[in-house]
Amino acid sequence: MQALRNILDRVHPYFAKGGVLEKAYPMYEALDTFLYTPGETTKKVTHVRDGIDLKRMMSMVVLSLIPVTLFGMWNAGYQANQAIEKMEQAGAPYEFDWHHTVQTAIGLGHDPTSFIDNFAYGAIHFLPIYIVCMFVGGHIELVFSVLRGHEINEGFLVTGLLFPLTLPASIPLWQVAVGIAFGVIVAKEVFGGTGRNFLNVALTARAFLYFAHAGQISGDQIWTAVDGFSGATALGQMAVAEGNAVASLSAIQYPWGEGSISLGSAFLGTIQGSIGETSTLLCIVGAAILIAAGIGSWKIMAAVVGGTVVTTLLMNALDFGSNPMFAVPFYWHLSVGGLAFGLVFMATDPVSASMTDTGKWIYGGLIGFMTVLIRVVNPAFPEGIMLAILFGNVFAPLIDYFVVEANVKRRAARYATT
Amino acid sequence: MLNSKASKVLFGPILDNNPIALQILGICSALAVTTSLQVSLVMSLAVIAVIACSNVAVSAIRQYIPGSIRIIVQMVVIASLVIVVDQVLKAFVYDISKQLSVFVGLIITNCIVMGRAEGFAMKNGVFMSFLDGLGNGVGYSFVLLFVAFFRELFGSGSLFGYTLMELDRNGGWYNPNNMMLLPPSAFFLIGFLIWAIRAYKPEQIEEA
Amino acid sequence: MQQRDSLANTFLVSTVLCVVCSLAVSAAAVALRPLQEKNQLLDRQKNILDATGLALGEFGLPASQLTVDQIAELYTRVEERLVDLETGEYNTELDPASYDPKDAAKKPNLSVRTDDPNYSIGRNRREKVARVFLVRNPKTEEITQVVLPVYGQGLWSTLYGYLAVKRDLETVQGLTFYEHAETPGLGGEVDNPRWKAQWVGLKMFDESGDPALAVARGPAPSDSEHKVDGLSGATITGNGVTDLVRYWTGPDGYQNYLNRLESELNGSQGESDVKQ
Repeated sequence: MQALRNILDRVHPYFAKGGVLEKAYPMYEALDTFLYTPGETTKKVTHVRDGIDLKRMMSMVVLSLIPVTLFGMWNAGYQANQAIEKMEQAGAPYEFDWHHTVQTAIGLGHDPTSFIDNFAYGAIHFLPIYIVCMFVGGHIELVFSVLRGHEINEGFLVTGLLFPLTLPASIPLWQVAVGIAFGVIVAKEVFGGTGRNFLNVALTARAFLYFAHAGQISGDQIWTAVDGFSGATALGQMAVAEGNAVASLSAIQYPWGEGSISLGSAFLGTIQGSIGETSTLLCIVGAAILIAAGIGSWKIMAAVVGGTVVTTLLMNALDFGSNPMFAVPFYWHLSVGGLAFGLVFMATDPVSASMTDTGKWIYGGLIGFMTVLIRVVNPAFPEGIMLAILFGNVFAPLIDYFVVEANVKRRAARYATT
Repeated sequence: MLNSKASKVLFGPILDNNPIALQILGICSALAVTTSLQVSLVMSLAVIAVIACSNVAVSAIRQYIPGSIRIIVQMVVIASLVIVVDQVLKAFVYDISKQLSVFVGLIITNCIVMGRAEGFAMKNGVFMSFLDGLGNGVGYSFVLLFVAFFRELFGSGSLFGYTLMELDRNGGWYNPNNMMLLPPSAFFLIGFLIWAIRAYKPEQIEEA
Repeated sequence: MQQRDSLANTFLVSTVLCVVCSLAVSAAAVALRPLQEKNQLLDRQKNILDATGLALGEFGLPASQLTVDQIAELYTRVEERLVDLETGEYNTELDPASYDPKDAAKKPNLSVRTDDPNYSIGRNRREKVARVFLVRNPKTEEITQVVLPVYGQGLWSTLYGYLAVKRDLETVQGLTFYEHAETPGLGGEVDNPRWKAQWVGLKMFDESGDPALAVARGPAPSDSEHKVDGLSGATITGNGVTDLVRYWTGPDGYQNYLNRLESELNGSQGESDVKQ
């Protein structure tokens, strides 16, 4: 290890001010501080209560994402292998692509009961998405950092993992590249880089793809990575149900016949959907890590859940039978779709969320309310959490402003009376 | 040929004082009619014609307009011109006027037209007002065509209706960016344009 | 300049201005009206020729790329008739040239409540009298196609289109939407030529004679005589199209007319039901 340190120290003058590679200092700095503790540390007593910095904070977020990521890979493979097996049995037509070639090249098959087969096939889908995302997004970040002389920081490690988790496994890789490029440039760099974005970067990237290339990120042919497969997600199925929305989940049309989604499988996550979003259980695990580490705000999470539950109960009460989504109970809303994932990992993004304590409750409640509203009332979008969080992001500064103003007024009134 | 003041009046609004990029006026139609270059071009010509003519007309009668009703007088002049232009478009380029639908009529409410009539034509001579109208119309058109260029290229894979990138739905390779067909994409493109202009001319950056 | 702001001058300027402007506007409107009407007519003719497939069949081009003369030439084969939807008889009281079905649907005396228990076009009222288009073979003068205007609610907008029916009055010749505002890339794919091509040759009615055309959810069964593939990610638009084609081919739509026309065609030409 000392040898590595020596090498870094030896090249340091080249990157320091006045050195030949001065412009590339952010790259050197990033590598150095990634490998070692930064050389400059605070010497005196400061007002900071904890030694945590952005780097360690981001690492904790990545850690909390590991359970859903690993499960997501397994589930992407499981869904695909299951579909392949059943379509094979039913004689429905399907096609293999290069993912299958890689799978067979490493000596694995498509047995949905085999853990290895599932995990490997999922990984073959997820890893290219992840690599493309990190490569493109990371380089854009690098270019802007060098141009502006900023340090490169670890914020992108989180965005670069969050974004692939919100995508279906079947997404074309070029769209991943276009999406993350748009997200990083428009949501982040335009506003001055890390910490200055008012929108969640990963969700902005996803929203861009959602509107630009809707065919590959919406609808019922994309969630399972088998060409020729089609089948609605739980929310997609409920949105077009006639009669009882939840009951319709027991008769979803797949190429091999009917299938069903139970509340248990929706909670565990063994259903089709975006790679990281399906398992509500593991999102709760991630939430526990974030809250224990003091990074994710439990207030926001609780407020989103509260907003969802209250709005759903209101919808249930308003149900006149015209739209079956009105009758869907709140525990279904919390289990299916991306709500759990979004509220744990996206809504709590400290940069784009509200800062004040009261503001966090309002912000979270607004997101829960909008999510249910979009899911239930809007006929075009079965899922609403992405748009709801972006909506919340836009309102967060305004909410903070009013909370602070109210506080100022209250205190002014208090002093005026004394 | 043109003295320096005239050329400043004519060319200033294109980059230095662009009505859309600097003054952020007339955004509405820039969002609505820019899905294809052909439509944008016709819209641009219509706006140029209306601004130039209304500037000339208002400037010509500016000595006689009573101050109390000057805004109404300008409105009447502009509205009449817009109706005439709309009728002409319906008669000669029906397909395009169908796509422009209400947005030709909405030129009446385009702040650029009113702004130039009140801000320039009321104080300047006929020829200068004509140049000013022309310049502002061209500045508006420049942004419109810029936005339409990218929206048509990436949204439909074509320019002026001529296919450059065959769409996958028609058997080609290009998977079009459908957001370019939706109005919000024009916001992003105008944003990028403003970014580029202000990087090139930093004096346009407003102090926060 | 005391005089400029005086009351008298204010009245004078506004009067003169109003007279001049209104003259200019009316002059433009009156002078250009014939051209505009010609354009509107041409536009409608193009849409109909697209639905019938005549433009592609004769010239190999979509109607929008044909010259005015070519359209006029093709359109000589088309005869416009007004049909009373309730009785199925041709209406001879109204003037086919000036009658506007869209306008009529809004007028209480020219419209009627929509009355179909199964399928909805998203409107409460529809026009009593519709304009249909009969396409004849230029040599034999036999009717080869009937074009029926259809419309109905999609996701964001009302879809307006033409359903062209072959001479047997149960096989689809083509379905074209000429006006809608569905989501580009999803519902907007109703304009996709490949999707539109799937309609050709479908049967409009099932064995019991009920309207059966439909947009499937997902791929259509390959042996289906009535269904086209669903549009990916556009369930609501697809349902809207299903509803509108079934409504207009149903008893509240053109069914009475089609039945009457069928007996008319068979009556005049016996059993020689020539397929196109």
